[in-house]
Amino acid sequence: MALLQISEPGSKPAKPLHRLAVGIDLGTTNSLVAASSAGAVEILADDEGSHLLPSVVHYPAGLEPVVGQGALDQLTIDPANTIISAKRMLGKNLLDIQAEGDANKAVTSLYQFDQNSRDGVPQILTAAGLKSPVQISADILGTLASRAESVLGGKLEGVVITVPAYFNDAQRQQTKEAAKLVGLNVLRLLNEPTAAAVAYGLDTKDQGRIIIFDLGGGTFDVSLLSLQRGVFEVLSTGGDTNLGGDDFDRVIMDWICSEAGLDQITDSKSFARLRNAAIAAKHSLTEVDIVGINFENWQGALSRAQFIELSADLVKRIINTCRRVIRDASISVDEIDNIVLVGGATRMLVIREAVAEFFGKPALAEIDPDKVVAIGAGIQADVLIGNKSANDFLLLDVSPLSLGIETMGELVEKIIPRNTTIPVTRAQEFTTFKEGQTAMSLHVVQGERELVSDCRSLARFELRGIPPMVAGAAKIRVKFQVDADGLLSVSAEELSTGMIAEIQVKPSFGLNADAIEEILQSSQENALADMEARSIGEARLEAQQLIDALASAVEIDGDLLDESESLLIKAAIEKLERANTEGDSSEIRVLTEDLNRVSGNFAARRMDLHIGAALRGESIDMIESSSD
Amino acid sequence: MQTINKNYFQLFSIPETYQLDIDLLGENYRGMQVEMHPDRFVNASEEEKMWSVQRSSVLNQAYDTLKDPLKRAAYMLERQGMNIEQVSQHDLGIDLLMEQMELRESLDELPKNESALDALGRLKKEVSEKLNSREESFSSMLMDSELATAKKIFHEMQFLKKLLLEINQGEEQRLGY
Repeated sequence: MALLQISEPGSKPAKPLHRLAVGIDLGTTNSLVAASSAGAVEILADDEGSHLLPSVVHYPAGLEPVVGQGALDQLTIDPANTIISAKRMLGKNLLDIQAEGDANKAVTSLYQFDQNSRDGVPQILTAAGLKSPVQISADILGTLASRAESVLGGKLEGVVITVPAYFNDAQRQQTKEAAKLVGLNVLRLLNEPTAAAVAYGLDTKDQGRIIIFDLGGGTFDVSLLSLQRGVFEVLSTGGDTNLGGDDFDRVIMDWICSEAGLDQITDSKSFARLRNAAIAAKHSLTEVDIVGINFENWQGALSRAQFIELSADLVKRIINTCRRVIRDASISVDEIDNIVLVGGATRMLVIREAVAEFFGKPALAEIDPDKVVAIGAGIQADVLIGNKSANDFLLLDVSPLSLGIETMGELVEKIIPRNTTIPVTRAQEFTTFKEGQTAMSLHVVQGERELVSDCRSLARFELRGIPPMVAGAAKIRVKFQVDADGLLSVSAEELSTGMIAEIQVKPSFGLNADAIEEILQSSQENALADMEARSIGEARLEAQQLIDALASAVEIDGDLLDESESLLIKAAIEKLERANTEGDSSEIRVLTEDLNRVSGNFAARRMDLHIGAALRGESIDMIESSSD
Repeated sequence: MQTINKNYFQLFSIPETYQLDIDLLGENYRGMQVEMHPDRFVNASEEEKMWSVQRSSVLNQAYDTLKDPLKRAAYMLERQGMNIEQVSQHDLGIDLLMEQMELRESLDELPKNESALDALGRLKKEVSEKLNSREESFSSMLMDSELATAKKIFHEMQFLKKLLLEINQGEEQRLGY
């Protein structure tokens, strides 16, 4: 190829053999695209030189959609056809969105949703027709992709898109779907905090343990990573989907109101002025020690010390989340080597100081906290597409929430605990509960609590064709597989026949993002209640199994019993059955023990009869299954 | 899958001993993930991608087992044909039961507010030290092929580990998060 290449004026020439791949930070408020050129990764700007693309799409009648600043300008003029914060709606159904709290109401109350949509998929009525969150996200991704193609001068071969660490299966699936809609090849979905670590890791060649502290406008994420010789390992993650910079604005707003002797502001223009005054004060306090505030006819001053006091509760929640993440990894605070700040709200001094105090060292903030995620994604895209050699670096990510299966007594058996490195395959064997059971219903759940009703249901499916056997004799292997994008599939196999049923967890069953922090919170708060609930569940289960086993044993070998023994057993069964519906766990345990005792001789005689002395010391339900 | 035919120690090319070089384990694990992780097969065929997900999962499973002292102990006992799921009071012995009761009582008796944090800290230290010394004896029993004793110590370790988790939970509750 001896042809000379001539590039378009104003655009960079595509380098030969350099495959074009970009990283995209698809944000709730703003989105960015980054690519590597000449060894360094940079944010790509639009024609007017701006880096941030507002994540806003305007759908006018009969015209092409407008994305970015142009759309944002329409927000006040044509709000019903101007969609903001589509990311908050990804992976949710209409009911989820309508049931959501304050954070989303402000956004979703702006729009009219099609009430007849299939499967509850949210569709917004716009002048240009129905638009789903996937379509809206696709329009934003498409705009970023064409910006990249025009700057880089070639077709994109792949993209890395960042998602919050807390995004569930459904939200991840839909992010991928959005990219596919505009013909993008998704190399990998990358967790946002991980991307931030990548941005710093490669720039500074750090080794050690890193905290990624990501405080955005409305969400908070913390991740703990370990970096060794170019391999990032995510040790644990945590966060709060309802905590962000906006909450700090709110404490200043409340303070102004109380100082000025004002009640709740209901007028929207007045509210906007109050909010702007609070935000301006918050920004100033990163530079000066005290700031003057004017609102309506009131004048006052807020000092940094006062601001620290006002935000003490918020800061405490933030630091407690950090503490839990460190605990989850079983390490101590002084083992943290670096803290990386992400998100605009980390510019606040009150945050920087609290972080420095808790970790005993100041945080890294050399890279613009609004751009660091996109830069990391750009670096990862470059590696995945093959522009960097294989041993450059690797990311080992974790699954953020526990995944499990419902067992008897409505208990959750966790198969993949949270913070397990992915990809991962875990199998566990289960057995039938009733004699002659030929089908098994499997219920896949996500969450940290012990009871099914407290976790989120992800999927249900059935395994049929189990050969009839006594209770506890069949062996069913349930396998959970989570791939490197964090997507789950589950299979169940009956081991003697090889009968298999499997399911890919479907997007519509996904977990509502705001519910995640609630799950984590309540799993901590309810640990004790859970233990009792689990204890009684287990006691009931054990009692029922013993009763069932004895009933069928009496049916087969009733002639081994004399009359008084038979009466004793019958009475003990009745007592236990009553306790099993009314009693507490200790009562059930005591009566189970009683029944075991009065039926002990019977069990021993059956054992002699059926299998000899080999199983001495086993409880009766074990014999029941072994004698078959 | 070929990797499944190797035991976890062979997989990472480290000697099959309970007291192992955690740094070496981690280094070999990461070295192998660099070769086998799905991120290395983004442009490969579907078959190769599948292969990579399976290999990478096995590596994660093996590393997760070996790096944790309790899981490692369970794995090594099972490799010796011991059934760790089955445990009778007889296996445990009266001395362990007494120790369990005493430790549990000292945990239960603590006040349910922040004033207990110091005492919790001391209890945590005591339990951690006991756990460490059990790990050492487990290692030497296993080396001497005293499997029944090793199994007994394993169950003691299980109990201490559980107690440690409860102490941590107690701390978290008292700290209010």
